[in-house]
Amino acid sequence: MKTGAYYKTKKASINLLIHLFLLSVATTCLFPLIWMVSSSLKSQDVIFKDTSLLPKAFHFENYYRAWMEGGFGRYFLNSIFYTVAVVIGIIIISSMAAYAFSRFRFPGRNIMFFMFMAAMMIPIPGSFVALYVLLNKLHLRNTSFGYILCMINVGLSTSIFLLKTFFDKMPKELEDAARIDGCSKIGLWWHVALPLSKPVLAVVVVFNALNVWNEYILALIIFDSRPLMPLQVALTTFQGEFVTNYPLLMAGLTITAIPIIIVYLLMQKYIVKGVTQGAVVG
Amino acid sequence: MFKLRIAISTLLIGFALFAGCAPKQETGKQVITIWHWMTDREPAFQELAKRYEAKAGVKVNFELYAPSDAYSQKVRAAAQGENLPDIFGILGEKRDFASFIKAGHIFNLTPYMEANNAEWKSSFFGKALAVNEFNEGNSYGVKPGTYGAPIDIMTIQMLYNKNLFRQLGLNPRKPPVTFEELLDIGKKISAANRGGSASGGKQSGMQGLVSGWAEVWMIDCFANNYAFNIMGKDKVLATIKGEVPYTDTDWIKVLTFFKQMQESGVLANGVVTMINKTAEQLFANDKAVFAFNGSWCVNVYKGMNPKLDYGAMLPPAASEKFPMAIWGGAGSSFMVNERSKNKEEAVKFLQWLTGADQQAYLAQSTNNLPANKNATSKIPDILAQFADSMENATHPNVWGLSEFSVVIEAFDKGIQSIIIGEKTPEQVALEVQRIKERELAKKRLVR
Repeated sequence: MKTGAYYKTKKASINLLIHLFLLSVATTCLFPLIWMVSSSLKSQDVIFKDTSLLPKAFHFENYYRAWMEGGFGRYFLNSIFYTVAVVIGIIIISSMAAYAFSRFRFPGRNIMFFMFMAAMMIPIPGSFVALYVLLNKLHLRNTSFGYILCMINVGLSTSIFLLKTFFDKMPKELEDAARIDGCSKIGLWWHVALPLSKPVLAVVVVFNALNVWNEYILALIIFDSRPLMPLQVALTTFQGEFVTNYPLLMAGLTITAIPIIIVYLLMQKYIVKGVTQGAVVG
Repeated sequence: MFKLRIAISTLLIGFALFAGCAPKQETGKQVITIWHWMTDREPAFQELAKRYEAKAGVKVNFELYAPSDAYSQKVRAAAQGENLPDIFGILGEKRDFASFIKAGHIFNLTPYMEANNAEWKSSFFGKALAVNEFNEGNSYGVKPGTYGAPIDIMTIQMLYNKNLFRQLGLNPRKPPVTFEELLDIGKKISAANRGGSASGGKQSGMQGLVSGWAEVWMIDCFANNYAFNIMGKDKVLATIKGEVPYTDTDWIKVLTFFKQMQESGVLANGVVTMINKTAEQLFANDKAVFAFNGSWCVNVYKGMNPKLDYGAMLPPAASEKFPMAIWGGAGSSFMVNERSKNKEEAVKFLQWLTGADQQAYLAQSTNNLPANKNATSKIPDILAQFADSMENATHPNVWGLSEFSVVIEAFDKGIQSIIIGEKTPEQVALEVQRIKERELAKKRLVR
């Protein structure tokens, strides 16, 4: 007969195994970040000889040099502006579109929805030349507005998909009650649908913020003026054709990672909620 | 609802204020815009732009778009939208270059090159200019002429570590000149690793030749050097044409060299799976006696180990019948936009930029080889060693014909198999020849 001690030991062993597995996953995820920070504090000649995670001498000046030589100040502001503008644009348009796809019946609804979904399948680099020519014809090339429009377009499909999935599952009784209270269609979206979809919106915000923050190829193609470029372009300053200044590059990467880590930490509880509520179905 | 309207209005006003305006262009002064991808040369370019503005009163905007693949996309997109700058560079193969010329994006520089008894043209290394030239009857259908100005050159050759030479009891001023001498050094390296007299009884952990041979084009380059040395250019080209089989004794000889090098111990362990960054790291950290690398390595090694004591050498010759050939030619080139309003000014600037003084400045500050042959007396010694071998340089881009890519792949992978002892040189030669014949048959069928 199996005793209580047996079950206790079994439970403890399973827990240990689970924790060991989670610990190994966490280490795998964290190691590149730790290596990045560690390398950012080494010098160029040491980085190839000393592979330990704790540098023998700490070169904190790398951060100052990366900031100054990369011209991070202006690019930082640009990136914040693009990220905020694009994310707000995506939230407004995708939530309105997703709500309409979920709740309204209109001709061509399914075709339009599938067209948005089909857009998810097109890799962004495949549309670069077309976007360039289009923006050029609209005289929006080399303008922040043109770039923001492109990036909103890039993020719409996935966001609409996520939000529509959520709205489809949302009980209609809440909207019925609001309608009885005299709420208009746009009022339903603003007062009922949006507040309830906070967890999914958190996922949409983090997903798109990360996407815009890390984007640089489209920016490089659309912008001719360096003052309009986002932060990621500054990182290329340290990456030559054959020679890369790794300590400054790693310092720059650490600087650029901080804001997005902060956004993630702020939104963490909503993201977990969003995921557990089935926001990221499929 | 009121809050919503306020929020949306604020957003729209915000967009209009911040996003809608493109930056103002500077007016008054003549401005030349240059797009490039060379991050490491950006500070030197900016300095030269200042000097030119002070000298000629023309403002030059060097605009950096890196990395190179993103730059290429930008240039292609700008060509579609006819928004190319006054001067730009094209990355890619010669057929890409030709397609830009045929689309009317590139200005023919021939009259400027030929002016004043070809003064401009003759200032360059002949082989540096070849990449930018299209000859009579070229297969691309481009009007013969010179369409670009090289700003630097590169060669791919061997490097040797002088400290490790001393440790092996070799004269650091006398690198091996024959293939037999190279194999002898291989034996010394093996002995040192076994704890022989060269290392004072201790196991040295010294590596032989390191190179990025996981990237097969570098193996191809090394093998081609020896093919040119043993059978000469004509026979190599005849092989590409299909007139000489890969089973010819000379080709088997080339393949056998890799077997001999492996057996002598001159090749580093795991060289067939080595990426060039690892090879550079090993050589820079005094762990490998030889490296096979491009002239760009001067900059790389300087960053990794400024105290590294090394020299450049041609791959040791296996035959006296033909000269040893190395791959080399133009590194980076600039082209003038055919549709630019500032064509004349752009050409003048390129002439100035490729002048001896400016080229020497570029070489000194960026450690790249100058394209102007008159600038080599003013450059660091190690760069001059690379430049000295320019006469031995050749490149598939200037041969006028190219081998089937599947044949090249089979040849290079075959060499990897020889090095790891999986196949014999004869087996590889036979396999490559079979693929060659299959491709030739396919080509005949298409015709």
